[in-house]
Amino acid sequence: MEHYLPPLPPAPSSEFVLARLGGYWQALGVTDPAQVAALSEQALRRVAESPESPGLDAVARALVAAGELLDDWLARTLELPRPSRELAAARAALLSGAAPDWPAALFAPPGEADALLDALRAAIAEPTPPPSPGAMPAQRIDLFWLLGPLHRLWHPELRA
Amino acid sequence: MTQTTQPPIMGHTLRRVVFFLLVLLTTLVAMGLMVSVFQTDGLSPMELILLLLYAILFSWICISFWTAFMGFFICLTGHDHWAISRHPGTPPDPAAPPPRTAILMPIYNEDSERVFAGLRAIHQSLADTGQLAGFDFFVLSDTRDPEVWVEEELRWQNMVRALDGKGRIFYRNRPENTSRKSGNLEDFCTRWGSQYRYMIVLDADSIMKGETLVEMVRIMERQPRVALLQTPPVPINRESLFARILQFAGSLYNRMFTAGLNYWQLGETNYWGHNAIIRIQPFLDHCGLPKLPGREPFGGDILSHDFVEAALLRRAGWEVWLAYDLEGSYEEIPPTLIDYAKRDRRWCQGNLQHLRLALSHGFNALSRLHFSMGVMSYLASPLWLLFLIATGVEAYFQTQHEPVYFFGENWAPVWPVSFAVEMTTVLLVTLTMLFLPKGLALLLLLKDSRLRRDYGGMLKATLSVVLETVFSVLTAPVLMLFQTKFVLAILMRRAVGWPPQQRGDHMTSFREAAQTHGVQTLIGVVAGVLSYQYVPAFFWWFIPVLLGLVLAIPVSMLSSSIALGRQSRELGLFLTPEETEQPVVLRYLEENLEEDEPVLPVLREKPASRFVQALTDPYVNALHLSLLPEREPPGKRRRHYLEGLVHQLEEEGPDSLSAAQKRDLIADPETLQRLHALFWSRPPVNAGMLP
Repeated sequence: MEHYLPPLPPAPSSEFVLARLGGYWQALGVTDPAQVAALSEQALRRVAESPESPGLDAVARALVAAGELLDDWLARTLELPRPSRELAAARAALLSGAAPDWPAALFAPPGEADALLDALRAAIAEPTPPPSPGAMPAQRIDLFWLLGPLHRLWHPELRA
Repeated sequence: MTQTTQPPIMGHTLRRVVFFLLVLLTTLVAMGLMVSVFQTDGLSPMELILLLLYAILFSWICISFWTAFMGFFICLTGHDHWAISRHPGTPPDPAAPPPRTAILMPIYNEDSERVFAGLRAIHQSLADTGQLAGFDFFVLSDTRDPEVWVEEELRWQNMVRALDGKGRIFYRNRPENTSRKSGNLEDFCTRWGSQYRYMIVLDADSIMKGETLVEMVRIMERQPRVALLQTPPVPINRESLFARILQFAGSLYNRMFTAGLNYWQLGETNYWGHNAIIRIQPFLDHCGLPKLPGREPFGGDILSHDFVEAALLRRAGWEVWLAYDLEGSYEEIPPTLIDYAKRDRRWCQGNLQHLRLALSHGFNALSRLHFSMGVMSYLASPLWLLFLIATGVEAYFQTQHEPVYFFGENWAPVWPVSFAVEMTTVLLVTLTMLFLPKGLALLLLLKDSRLRRDYGGMLKATLSVVLETVFSVLTAPVLMLFQTKFVLAILMRRAVGWPPQQRGDHMTSFREAAQTHGVQTLIGVVAGVLSYQYVPAFFWWFIPVLLGLVLAIPVSMLSSSIALGRQSRELGLFLTPEETEQPVVLRYLEENLEEDEPVLPVLREKPASRFVQALTDPYVNALHLSLLPEREPPGKRRRHYLEGLVHQLEEEGPDSLSAAQKRDLIADPETLQRLHALFWSRPPVNAGMLP
């Protein structure tokens, strides 16, 4: 039976990996081939430096590294903890189209992309307000029970 | 935060005394007539049963009749000293911070497009009042279906973008839907409740005007003893004939009926679960629901939580009011007879659970009455059925009885005493009490020319009432059999096996109608033949019931027709004020539903599967990941389970997984990220969105 996700060749060529990475960067919004090439190279370097991940093939590891590159940049420029929900929300904001020129900002010197970062900060979703826990104790409901009076006779402490 | 008990208010007590005396006296008179018919030759066991059933059912009708009558009186005079909205109360402390109110929409596998279109309409209407700053919106999702879950997230984000609602419009999906809707609300209360003074609870199909929301908060501010204020939701927006008839009836009669409810319930009214504002602190303090001991249907989670929450608030000394004269509160109703019955099935179990609560310690008398009324709204059907059967059997025995004209030495015949007058009176009184409220509601239109116009004019409104009455006579026996079946199934702990409810308009097919009403039709035919054969006199009285059953299939199909619904509207029949002059908030809803350019590009196309999109589309994947709650990493067994699912997905595709399995996959952040990478490294064949 044919697999839904077709298996990779046992040793995928570097061209194959780069093509997949390139496609992924484009889906993220990086269209400049030079930027795609530079980012892919960085992602591959990162894969080489990181330990093997169980359950992930070489291409998938490169794709994870690409995402991590993006998260690194977001965490650094927006001063967000990582890993965190805020960082995931920032990535979602970035990919939502709220900051269309972000690939240029990625390669711009620090301080030159402030307007874009402000737009990005504004677009980061806040799904819930900060928690302020409160208690809601379960109330006691003494249900009617046909044998209740007998039960109370048997257990005098319940009569109080 | 328990309220000190206030001494009873004379006006309140007087109203209740008058109301219950009327109910009692009417019941006693009707019972007297019945007894006079039965007692001539002593009461047989069957007659005793008939009397008992009649007493229960008639008092039930009496409560409804006198409620409507009092409502008629109030609507006619326009005076209601005790209406909560007109009570001046105490002015709020100017030094106190302005109240913050959370508008809550608990949802569970609903149509996301409709949910968010409705919520946006409410937001827009509230913005029109200039009071938006005092309100936050929460979509409290208990959705389990992964497709709907992802769709909800996108719709929420789209709404936030479209309305610049960051930090005001919130969304969360609960990892486990413990205790269903009450648990969902409790989760909100314990996490964020203390940041707000009030919460306004909506249903997935609720719509409320901004002005109404603002007014509800204003009333609560003036009435510090009130913990809950219920508004009467008016049914709207459906197009099928069935729904339009119900909308008309709900709109015309409920105006009077809710005024009548407020006449005697006052500050001890009930909570209907939505379109109500609640003071959060007393709700936190007193409305934590316990699990009831024992097995379902009477044990376990409290299903109709709203009744119990209102009773708990009243037990703690708080007031619960019905703001019957607040307009701008709407809801949608099931579009067909079958959908209506499905909704009844869901509500039935919760209401029957109240059998035990009605006699529990600590609740006040009116709370017990609310519980009993909840039970009776479903138990009345099997009781009516029993009453009909008992009447038929009694009538049969009467026909077997040969009259004796000469006794002993008497030379003159002793004619049997006729009770036709008494029986006809009983019947007429019962029918009057059932149908007079409809006439009273119609009479009220004479008083208000604008309202008269909104219902299509006096002539068309009268014709609509007549047709609605015929329709309700035809459908009543069908609903009686449905509800009897539900009650019996629940008592025997059997699932009735209904598919999920469809909220949108849709036609009932012959197949569906035949499957659902086939047995009812058969019962109608058999009962008709038997009664005609053995008790012909009873047969003619029985015809309205028989007709409803025999015609169940065509009535169910025809009434589901959207074309007939539209035609009736064009003819000016069953018109409601909301149809005649659409309120702005409903226009917003319509516009939002028609919007074809959502702010989020990803919503402009409808992919085959949002679940797959959450694995493949980098934006949808990142958004979903960012909305997952922080939790402990899965244990070893859970990891193995997820690993197995990942392999199954890789090999056999998403169609091989159940909805619950898909949900498990995208609920775990690590698995979600891993699948995203796998889908991009080895894109599935025919995956259009992947390169």
